[in-house]
Amino acid sequence: METNHVPEKFIVSIGPQHPALKEPGHFEFTVDGEVVTNATARLGFVHRGMEKGTEGRNYVQDLYLMERVCGICSHVHAMAFALGVEKLAGVQAPPRAQAIRELIAELERIHSHLLWLGVAAHEGGFDTLFMFSWRDRETVMDLLELISGNRVNYSANVLGGVKIDINEKQKDAMHKGMDFLEERTEHYMKVVTEDETFLGRTRNIGLMTKDQAELLGAVGPTSRASGVPHDVRVDSPYAGYADFPVKLITEPAGDLEARFVVRINELFESYRLVREIIDHLPEGELTVRVPRRIPEGETVSRVEAPRGELFYFMKSNGTDKPDRVKVRTPSLCNWASVLTLAVGHKLADMPMILAGIDPCFSCNDRMVTINRGNDSQVWSWEDLRKYGIDYYK
Amino acid sequence: MVKKKVLTPEELLQAGKEALQSWILSENTPENNRLDVVIQTAEIKNCVRALVNAKWGYLSAITALDSPEYTLVEGSNDKVIVPDKGNVELLYHFCNGAAIITMRMKLPYANAAIDSICEVIPSATLYEREASELLGVDFIGTPSTEHLLLPDEWPVNVYPLRKSFTGLEKQNKVEEK
Repeated sequence: METNHVPEKFIVSIGPQHPALKEPGHFEFTVDGEVVTNATARLGFVHRGMEKGTEGRNYVQDLYLMERVCGICSHVHAMAFALGVEKLAGVQAPPRAQAIRELIAELERIHSHLLWLGVAAHEGGFDTLFMFSWRDRETVMDLLELISGNRVNYSANVLGGVKIDINEKQKDAMHKGMDFLEERTEHYMKVVTEDETFLGRTRNIGLMTKDQAELLGAVGPTSRASGVPHDVRVDSPYAGYADFPVKLITEPAGDLEARFVVRINELFESYRLVREIIDHLPEGELTVRVPRRIPEGETVSRVEAPRGELFYFMKSNGTDKPDRVKVRTPSLCNWASVLTLAVGHKLADMPMILAGIDPCFSCNDRMVTINRGNDSQVWSWEDLRKYGIDYYK
Repeated sequence: MVKKKVLTPEELLQAGKEALQSWILSENTPENNRLDVVIQTAEIKNCVRALVNAKWGYLSAITALDSPEYTLVEGSNDKVIVPDKGNVELLYHFCNGAAIITMRMKLPYANAAIDSICEVIPSATLYEREASELLGVDFIGTPSTEHLLLPDEWPVNVYPLRKSFTGLEKQNKVEEK
């Protein structure tokens, strides 16, 4: 069989197996020597047909289904769905419920950003930072378990409000946790902005200009690190964000270092918000009644997930089941931008650039094949990671 | 530095509407901060280009809705789907701050084709691939038509997000008959 490879080009195929981290995905990088000239994606290895699944279940069942779209940002999915259903039904959850929704969303952001910090550090060959940040992340995981009973699917939302309340003892634990994490995060900020070896992997790498970020529709910290002032929490406040506003954080540089700095600054902002919410939690009910049958209508529900804008489009038809629920997760937007941006970068930078968007279809630890004409080599993601680290030694 | 005036969502929607003015067939405000405009299928590239040139927000998502034709079963109130009749509606959502403009158009099953907008917004390829394999919309000129989400061995012309799809096994049985 003839091969149709252009002689001096390799295709580096990455994925979909990945024993070490979360979810599978498959990427193919065409490289010319060391430089990437084209990048494509193949997702769907964990496609579970959830959008179709919502059409056959009622709204209450769907809430539990949507909470399971993502294992890291489970709360924001349930919250986006619940807010959408409430809009369609013409009801509003009480202020205390909205504040608790925001509180859990911020705790979730803290755990997600710390998780990312560890993963990104690992990809850069900085395993000490990885172990420290994941150790500290346990603090916030314990707090989430303390208030909801769960570490992953907190199941805090119900249609029309929340099902968990916050008591004084939990507030104390949260204050202590935030104090500890703030001190640690100050240290991390110092590390990612001052450590020479780390800066060698992040400064001026994976550059995305503001115009590119806007055109490619990048979202969340990835776009804010390119100076795009977009944050759904600020632009279009939902849940409790109108009462407990968040400060918009951007960085102009657009490189990997800026993506670290934005996320770490967001951590400080989240610590501040958590303290403010628990100190000024509104009194009152936790739920309002939502009818079982939802009147006919269409709505868009947007929330700011840890990775960026999460978009829900919902159409109801007057029954107790939705007609259509469309979910667009932030990682999908950011994949599109990273695939375009990969072109022109070194193969050795790919692990860090991919990790830099905080992919939810995680792209770590997988198989890598290098095709060179008739010759083909198989690498693991680990090999590619080491290749990247050795390249910069 | 002069600080740019922050526009309200209403002003943003007005500016977006002006950019699209010549292509709007009808418009609707389904809820606060939103504007739905119906445009002609053939004009999608022009409309997207107009919004991009006006720097009006970013493409947030492409939603595809399936609306098949139903018919009543004789002697009862049950509705059944008329096979191969109906349309897929595409919704291009552009977000700008709190404002959302949705461009909508209906494509009949018989001719479910529309120009790809990847020439204007390269990152739209993932959204187009999703709509094309899950609902059977043909994006003319889209850079890749390979499967993004469905397995490689998925049968051709079977679109799981269409209302008529109820599961692969059943579908195959019908074909065998």
